[in-house]
Amino acid sequence: MNTHYKDNRSLPVRILSVLGKVLILGTAGIFTAFPFIWMIVSSLKTKADILNTDIFFPTDPQWSNIASIIFRSPIPRYIFNSAWVSLVIVGLQIITGAMLAYALVFLKFRTNKLLFGIVMGTYMLPVAATYIPSYIILADWHMLDSFRGLIISSTVSIFGIFLLRQGFMQIPKGLVEAARMDGASHWRALWEIVCPMTKASFITFGLMNFISTYNNYMWPSLITKSSEYFLVSQGLRAFFIRDGAYGTEWALVMAASAVVVVPLLVLFAFTQKWFINGIGGETGIKG
Amino acid sequence: MAEIILNNITKEYDNGFQAVKNINLEIKDNEFVILVGPSGCGKSTTLRMIAGLEDISDGDLFLDGKRINDVPPQERDIAMVFQNYALYPHMTVYQNIAYSLKIKKVPKDEIDRRVRETAASLGLTELLDRKPGQLSGGQKQRVAMGRAIIRHPKAFLMDEPLSNLDAKLRGQMRVEIADLYQRLNTTFIYVTHDQTEAMTLGTKIVVMKDGEIQQIDNPTNLFNYPVNKFVAGFIGTPTMNFFDAECVEEDGKLCLKTLDGKIELTPEKEQKLKEDGWTGRKVTAGIRPEHLEFCTEEQAAFKGEISVFELLGSNAIIYAQCADGRVVMNTNDTVSREHGETVFMKPREEKLHIFDPETERIITN
Ligand SMILES: Nc1ncnc2c1ncn2[C@@H]1O[C@H](COP(=O)(O)OP(=O)(O)OP(=O)(O)O)[C@@H](O)[C@H]1O
Ligand SMILES: [Mg+2]
Repeated sequence: MNTHYKDNRSLPVRILSVLGKVLILGTAGIFTAFPFIWMIVSSLKTKADILNTDIFFPTDPQWSNIASIIFRSPIPRYIFNSAWVSLVIVGLQIITGAMLAYALVFLKFRTNKLLFGIVMGTYMLPVAATYIPSYIILADWHMLDSFRGLIISSTVSIFGIFLLRQGFMQIPKGLVEAARMDGASHWRALWEIVCPMTKASFITFGLMNFISTYNNYMWPSLITKSSEYFLVSQGLRAFFIRDGAYGTEWALVMAASAVVVVPLLVLFAFTQKWFINGIGGETGIKG
Repeated sequence: MAEIILNNITKEYDNGFQAVKNINLEIKDNEFVILVGPSGCGKSTTLRMIAGLEDISDGDLFLDGKRINDVPPQERDIAMVFQNYALYPHMTVYQNIAYSLKIKKVPKDEIDRRVRETAASLGLTELLDRKPGQLSGGQKQRVAMGRAIIRHPKAFLMDEPLSNLDAKLRGQMRVEIADLYQRLNTTFIYVTHDQTEAMTLGTKIVVMKDGEIQQIDNPTNLFNYPVNKFVAGFIGTPTMNFFDAECVEEDGKLCLKTLDGKIELTPEKEQKLKEDGWTGRKVTAGIRPEHLEFCTEEQAAFKGEISVFELLGSNAIIYAQCADGRVVMNTNDTVSREHGETVFMKPREEKLHIFDPETERIITN
C-alpha cells in the first residue's frame, strides 16, 4: 500500500530528516552486520592475520580454510543433522500448532479461554525450568542421546501457536462455516481454507523456529553425548576444542561458522517476502 | 428433497441468553419457508441450528425422520448461502463452486461439466477464472448461490442473502431466487427481516419475535388473519394503524367508538365481541392503510389534517394528524392534496382487526 501525503516542511528540514534516518538506520545496520562480516573475512585469513587487529581484509585469502571445513571436517555432517532434525521438528510444530490454534479460534467449547490461558501461561515459564522434568521424562522413555528424543521434546511451539492464532483471528468465521457446509471436515477446513489464507504466518513460524532449532545449543547438549547426534552449535564447539586445540584454530572455526550459516541464508532468501509480512501482522488475505 | 422438523427447540447461549425458546416447526419437502422477524429475534440462530453450526440446547431436530442434533454440518447435506457470501478469497470462482464436489471426490470431468452448467445458469461463465476480490456484490452473490446449487443438497438455507445488495439488484435477485426454487424443486429455508421479501417469496412464513414463533402461515392468511398485534403490525407496508376504541351498545347494536367518531361492525365481529363479553370495554383496533376510505363528516371514524402527502403513481399515501394520533391511508384516489387539508376517513368494516388490549391477541379479524 502506498500512502502519498504532502510534505509541507521546508527543503533543508526535509534533507536533514532524511539524513538523520539514514544515519541512524545505517549505524544500527553496521552494528548488526559487523560481527557477521568480521566472521566472513576472518574465515579467509591465515592464522597469523587473524589475531592482528591492524588488518581487516585478508592479505592472502585462504580458500583452503573453507575447503577443509567442507571436505575434511565433521561440520557438513552436523549441518545435515541440524537441517533434517529441524525440518522434522518444525513440521510437527506446524501441525500441532495449527490444530491447537484452529481449536482456539474456530471451535466453541466451554474451556476455550482457560485453555488459551494455560498455553500462554507456559510461555511465561523460563525455558530452563523445563529442562529437568523434560530430561527425566526422556530418560524414562529411554530417549536420551538420540534424534528421537531431540524431536519428541520439541513437537510443540507455544510461540507458533500464538503466532498462528493471531493470524487465524483475522479470518472471518463465516469462511470456516461455509467450508463445513460444503462438506469439509475441520481438518480440511484448516489446511484448505485457513492455511492458504494465513500463509505468511505459517512461513514466519516455520522459518523462525527452523532457525532457532537449527542453532539450538543448550537443550541438545544436555541430552545428546555422542557426536553422531550433534547439531551444528554443539558440533562447532566440539570442533573448536578438538584435539586440545583450544583457541588456536580461529580461522578454521570462523570458516566452519560461515559454512554453517549458509543454509539459513539460502532459506531466508527464499522466504523473505513472506517473513516480513508475517512479522508485520499481515495475513496475506489481501486480494 | 427433505423434510425438516423442529421439535421444542431451544437455544441458550453460553452467557445464559435464550435466543430461541421452545419452537416447533414442520417443514415439508419442497417448501419455501421464510423466517422473518425484527433484528435479534433469533432467525439466524434457528437457521444455524438447522445447519449444524450452532449446538441445540434442548429439543430435537429431524431431517427426513432422522434425529440430527449431533450430526456435524458436513454430514447433513444441507447447503447454506451466507449474508456476506463467505467466498474463499484464495480460490477462483471455479474453485469456489467446485469445492464441495472436490470434497465428495466427484470425478474431475463431472465436476467440470457441473461447474460449467451451474455457471452458465447463473451467468457466471465469463467470471470463472476470477478471484472473489475482483467481483461486484451481485456477482459474489451469484457465486455463493452457485456454490450451493451445484451440490443438489437436501435443503438450501439462506441467511439474508440479499441484504448487502442495492435495492434494484435485490429486486432482481429475488426474482432469480423464486425462479431457482421453481427449477430446483428443493426445500428452501430463507431468513430475512424484510417482510416484502418474505411475502413475495415464501409459501410458508414463520413470524418470530424474541425467540418465539408468533405465527406460521401463508402470505395471504398472514396478511388477512394475523393472530396478534405484533404480526399485524409487522406484515404490510405502510404498517397497520392501531387505535384505542370502546365497544358501546347503541340501539341494541354494538359499535366501536373512537375519539373522532364511531365504526360500524359486521354482524360476525359484533357477535364475537358480544360473546366474549367485550361490551362496554376498551379494545385495540387495527386497520391497514389500504383499507381506509374517504367518507362524509358524519360517517367518519377519523378526522384529521394532512401532514404529508406522497404520490406514488397509481396510488397515494396520506399521513393525517387525527385525535387518535397519526393515521396513514393508502388510496387509489390520486387527486393531489394540500398539506393541512382536512380529511374524513372510515375503515372498511370487514377489514377491521380487533385485539385484546392487554394480551394483544386477536379477538376477531
Ligand atoms: N454467540 C452469542 N452469544 C450470546 N448471545 C448471542 C450470540 N449470538 C447471538 N446472540 C443473541 O441472540 C439473539 C438472536 O440472534 P440472531 O442472530 O439469531 O438474531 P437475528 O434474528 O438473526 O437478527 P438479525 O436480523 O439482526 O440478523 C440476539 O439477541 C443476539 O444478541
Ligand atoms: Mg441474522
